[in-house]
Formats: sequence, structure tokens, C-alpha cells
Amino acid sequence: MKDYTFHVSGTHCASCKIFIEDTLTEQTGISHVCVDLKHKTVSLETTLDETQGELAERLTATIQQNGYALSVLEPVEKKQGDGVVWLAVPIGLAVLALFFLFQKSGILNIGLGGTVTPVTALIIGLIASVSSCLAVVGGLVLSLSATISRDSQNDTRPILLFHGGRLLGFAVLGGILGVIGGALSIGLTATTLLGLLASVVMILLGLNLVGIFEKSTLTLPLGIFKFFRSMEHTTLAPFLLGVGTFFLPCGFTQAMQVTALSSGSFLSGLLIMGAFAIGTLPMLALLSFGSASFAQSKHAPLFFKSAGVVVLGLGSFAFLAGLAGLGIINPLITL
Amino acid sequence: MEAKKIALAIVTFALVVCIAIIILRAPTNTVSPEVQQVDAVVVKDGIQYVTILARGGYTPKISSAEANVPTKLIMQTDGTYDCSLSLVIQAIGYQKILPSTGEEVIDLGTLTSGQSIRGVCSMGMYSFVINFT
Repeated sequence: MKDYTFHVSGTHCASCKIFIEDTLTEQTGISHVCVDLKHKTVSLETTLDETQGELAERLTATIQQNGYALSVLEPVEKKQGDGVVWLAVPIGLAVLALFFLFQKSGILNIGLGGTVTPVTALIIGLIASVSSCLAVVGGLVLSLSATISRDSQNDTRPILLFHGGRLLGFAVLGGILGVIGGALSIGLTATTLLGLLASVVMILLGLNLVGIFEKSTLTLPLGIFKFFRSMEHTTLAPFLLGVGTFFLPCGFTQAMQVTALSSGSFLSGLLIMGAFAIGTLPMLALLSFGSASFAQSKHAPLFFKSAGVVVLGLGSFAFLAGLAGLGIINPLITL
Repeated sequence: MEAKKIALAIVTFALVVCIAIIILRAPTNTVSPEVQQVDAVVVKDGIQYVTILARGGYTPKISSAEANVPTKLIMQTDGTYDCSLSLVIQAIGYQKILPSTGEEVIDLGTLTSGQSIRGVCSMGMYSFVINFT
């Protein structure tokens, strides 16, 4: 039994640790793999005869496509990381400022008279996707896609599954609303609580994206990263999450749900909620696939840190708004 | 620190101040032109009616009403599809999604001087307050 310690590069989160430990332990003859994130080392025991150099090369091949590499000598640190924060923060803040200005301007304050048809539902979806709802649903989508894109190469699949889940979920649940009416409703308090939960997730993800967790010994609880592993690798998790967005607080969604409810039939409920979800698709697709494409570009660190600032801002805003909605605090912010 | 970092730090500070001003500014009763003027507070047959329009937020954001008079709140909607529809009034335990066009009458009871009623949309982003004096 030989003990080796390698230097590892490309690790920046606890899920990297889980992934590397799992993948390396699966190799025959390797055991007791332990990743030390703070010192960026991997130690393991092996019964094999290869030299340390050969082992490093062979094992790197198994984890290389996720961006990690093992080496015997300490790799030259890329200096790019730190300088980027100074640019990311103003960029993120500028985006937030524009968002709030846009909401406050009242441009979106257009009334839509008449009965709701699937076509009007689609238009309402388009409007909803750039309205204040963007803070909760859009922010959540951005934070999740950015985190997934940053951590893994095959990010397209979970994103596609998410959108599929959302579209199908809205259509089917809308149809059910049309038939059995209010029985599906989870109540306004539960909805607001769900929104609060989403905002906490956004704040944590925002901090993670900005890189606070890398610099300190603080790490997010392991449970959260097991959740991300399932998002990235299973089929059900992202799909169910997409369906779950049906229950997030968004006044537009709720208004549409009431309309579907009173429409009286499965088909009309399905068409209304389905059209609404399609209306929200362009914006959400932009946020999610946009994150995925940025992840490959050379500006990736800047994008992720700026996205982190935006997500932190939106998450805090949604958190305070959620507390106000529950009546725990007086509304500090009014749009 | 290099000049570039100083410049970015100043820009950052300015943006933080801007955002604070945008979102923390106390609500004023600016009414946009398309919104019809409503007679906010009317007393008829001994009952006080406070009317508030719900569309893209609540208008007027601040209302004043008389204390010690039985009061009803009239929520008006006109092609509304945003968060202002899902109204929560904590003080009376009221929680409802208003019809997108129409009028909804809500009984507020009789309030004493110094009390106020606050209404919030379920996301917490829009609110109105009625002050009783």
C-alpha cells in the first residue's frame, strides 16, 4: 500500500470534492481518496505499481473533462481570478440599477381588457418575464444555470429538462386547475414562503458565484452540493424543479391560475397556462442558455462574478419583499 | 492601487447610492396619466369608502381617512394581471386574488385615530397604506 499526495487544479467548490473523490475511488486499486480544498491537494492509497507521475497522468484523464487535473509538482497559479472582482461588482450593480429603474418606470403598466385567450396569455407571459417576477423566477433560473454551467461541462441537458418540466408542468397543472378548480391551490401564505425559500437559495448561490466560499474556510452544507450533483446528473431533479416554478410567487402566474381555474375545462386551462409558460420562455431561455454559453468563453470568470452580484441583489430584494408579503416587516421597498 | 481600480471603486460607490435612492425612496402619490382620477375617500350614508386602484401597483399609495367612522375599502381593477391582484391585508387577515377587472368591496371596520391599514401584494413588491386620523 502506497500513499501519494498530488496537487489538484480546477477545484472551486465542495461538489468538485465529491466528484473527484467518487471518480477516483471507482478506479481499481485506488482507495481512501481525500481531497483537501483549502490546500488544493488530493491524497490517496494505492496497491498499484505505477510511479507517481504515471498515476497522475492516468487519473487526470478520468477527471480532465470536468476541468480538473492532478500533478506531482505545484502548478503555476493563474492570476486572472482576483482582478476580475473589481469589474464584476459595478457591472452587476449597473444591471440591478437598470432592472429597478425599469420596474419603477411603469412602462409595463398596460391594462389588458377583455377575456383571456391563449394568445393574450402568451403576451402576458412575455410581459411577466421582464416584470418584477424576473427577480424571483428569473433570478432563480440565472443562479442555478450559472452555478451548473460553472461546475460541469454537460450543462445543456439539465437546462433543457428544466424548461421542459416548466412548460409541461404549467400546461398539465393548468389543465387540472380548469377541471378541479381551487383544490390545487396551496394558498397565498405557502406561496410567499416558497418565494422566501427561493430567495435564500439565490442569496447562497450568489455568494457562491461571487467566490466568497472559496476564500474562506466556510463551505456550504454538503446537502446542498449533493442536490447539485443530482441536478447535473439525473433526469428527474431538473424536470421537477421546472414543474415546481408553477408555485413560486409571481402575481402574473397567480392571475393566470385564477383565469385557468374559471375557464372550466381541462383543455382551456391547459392552453392558457401553457401559452403563459411559452411567453416566459424567451427570457428564461436567454438567462439559462446564455449562462451556459458564457461558461465556455474566456470571459467566464467575469460573467460568473457579475452574475453572482446580480443574483445576490435580486435574492436580497426578493427576500425583503417576501418578508413584507408575510407581514413580518413593513415593506421597505415599493416599486 | 492602480488608477483603474480606483475608478471602478468610485463607479461602484455611485451605483450603490443610485440603487439605494431608487428602491428606498419613500412612496409618493405620483399618478401616471392613463390612470383615472378616483375620488379617494368618500362618505355616503354614514359609511366611509376608500377607493384604491390596483394596476401595476396601488394608487394612491398613501390615503388619509377619518377615524371613528365605519370604513369600507373598494379595490378597483381594470385589466390588471400583475402582482397587485394578489392582495394581502394583514390587519384584517384578508388574502385574496382580485378579479382582473372589477370592484371588490372589503370591510375594514371602524378604526381609531393613529391606526393605519396596510395592503401588500403577495410578492411584497407593491403596497399601499391608509392612515386614519
